[in-house]
Amino acid sequence: MKAEGQFYFSKTHEWISKETGDTFYLGISDFAQSELGDIVYIVLPEAGRVYKKGEKIGEIESVKSVSEIYAPVTLKVISVNTNLNEKSELINTHPYNSGYIARVSVLNLSDISGLMDKNTYESFVTS
Amino acid sequence: MKTEINKKTPLYDEHIKLGAKIVAFAGFLMPLYYKSIIEEHLNVRNNSGLFDISHMGEVIIKGKDARVFVDYVFTADVSKTLPGEIIYSLMLNEKGGIIDDVTVFKFSENEFMVVVNAANTQKDFSWLHYQQSEFQKNGYGVSVENVSEKIGLISIQGPKSRDIIYPLVGDIAKIGRCGFFDLKFRPKPVTELKHFKFSCALFKDNNIEALISRSGYTGESGFEIFVPAEKTATLWNYLLKHGHLSNLLPVGLGARDTLRFEAALPLYGHELDETVNPYDAGLEKYLSVTKDFIGKEVLKNIKNKEKRLIFFKLSGKQIPRHMQKILDENLKPIGCIASGTYSPSNKFPIGSAYISDANISPSSLKNFFIDIRGNFEKAEVVSPPFHKKKQS
Repeated sequence: MKAEGQFYFSKTHEWISKETGDTFYLGISDFAQSELGDIVYIVLPEAGRVYKKGEKIGEIESVKSVSEIYAPVTLKVISVNTNLNEKSELINTHPYNSGYIARVSVLNLSDISGLMDKNTYESFVTS
Repeated sequence: MKTEINKKTPLYDEHIKLGAKIVAFAGFLMPLYYKSIIEEHLNVRNNSGLFDISHMGEVIIKGKDARVFVDYVFTADVSKTLPGEIIYSLMLNEKGGIIDDVTVFKFSENEFMVVVNAANTQKDFSWLHYQQSEFQKNGYGVSVENVSEKIGLISIQGPKSRDIIYPLVGDIAKIGRCGFFDLKFRPKPVTELKHFKFSCALFKDNNIEALISRSGYTGESGFEIFVPAEKTATLWNYLLKHGHLSNLLPVGLGARDTLRFEAALPLYGHELDETVNPYDAGLEKYLSVTKDFIGKEVLKNIKNKEKRLIFFKLSGKQIPRHMQKILDENLKPIGCIASGTYSPSNKFPIGSAYISDANISPSSLKNFFIDIRGNFEKAEVVSPPFHKKKQS
């Protein structure tokens, strides 16, 4: 994964980070993975499908709980990280790189202004 | 509903210092895990783990007729044990339903300690107190006391648990007091303790005196240490400081649950509750045939099991959860999940369920499914346990 640097976070703990143009990587935050604990199963989003902002795109199951993953912006899934089918623990160990969930096109780039930068997100989760 | 403020065990501050993820369980703020349920689980299977189980309840039963009392309120042959021995038992209501599953420690002919599930401490104590009043009305000498808040309980489990305990205890060969307790028998050296026996340990360096038993809830060999509440944190940190002796890691309730379930040990509120009788749960071997006890009369009339407990594994990766439905091959609901989890030792999901039709034999259940949030996941019956202790 080659994200360009800046990460944008949603209140529901997903992040996106630009690869190139309107293509972004999408994952869940380090805070979210640490709250879930050991992740053992993921329902990935569907490649090719468009999801509206706030729509459920997948499901993450840890030993103790199940959580839904939401689209932080309106997006189209380009490809999913199929490594997670066998190695869902990558989300725990590398939430910001090899544990990403999908590559997506952001359909409306202005959606991004509604997300939080890293510092804002960190104070959001500690408040 | 009344709001209850969750209690803290004497080790709460230690859990915070260790960075535990804290959850409310049975009215206590408890560590769910420190780093990872899977890592903690596997470390107990391969090395050793340190658990805070101070949330569990302890009730002392004593008096000249304590033996008669324990034989009446518990299903197992409690009075026949010897001082220094532990026995697992059920406590039933008059309808034969399971009020709790407990262990009973015999201190002397006149004194016993009952260790109960945290979620049931109040209920059990009220029940025992009511039975005590009935006994007293009939002229029997027995009293019950809930001492749960005075006692901290630390458990060390795993194949290497002896490697840390043996070097740290000095032996006590006196008769009488052992920390909080009055044992009235000569305790065996800790190094000679066998499964379900207990003694008294005097820990080196800090001179903490504690009741120590060979017992646990993980399917591994291990020790449980009953220590005065105010000394629990000192003992906990002392054991962690010597953790290198057995590759000791602190273990939270998450792994306590996956460990007990791999060993197919029942958990009250999952496999057991007051709607379940001992036959349903497959626990009839803990019913004494030689004495009378509360619930026995009703159980005599139960000829057939009303439901049947089965254990299963899944071929998929989704984890079955408590109360999800079991479906037969025609997708007809036939039961309900008791426990479900991921098995860290086997790396697949496992579960237990009550089949509501006791005429369905587990072996005839070739194809059945679990309804996991609308996905019908295929399951296969297995005979428990999911994990067997390695020979040491």
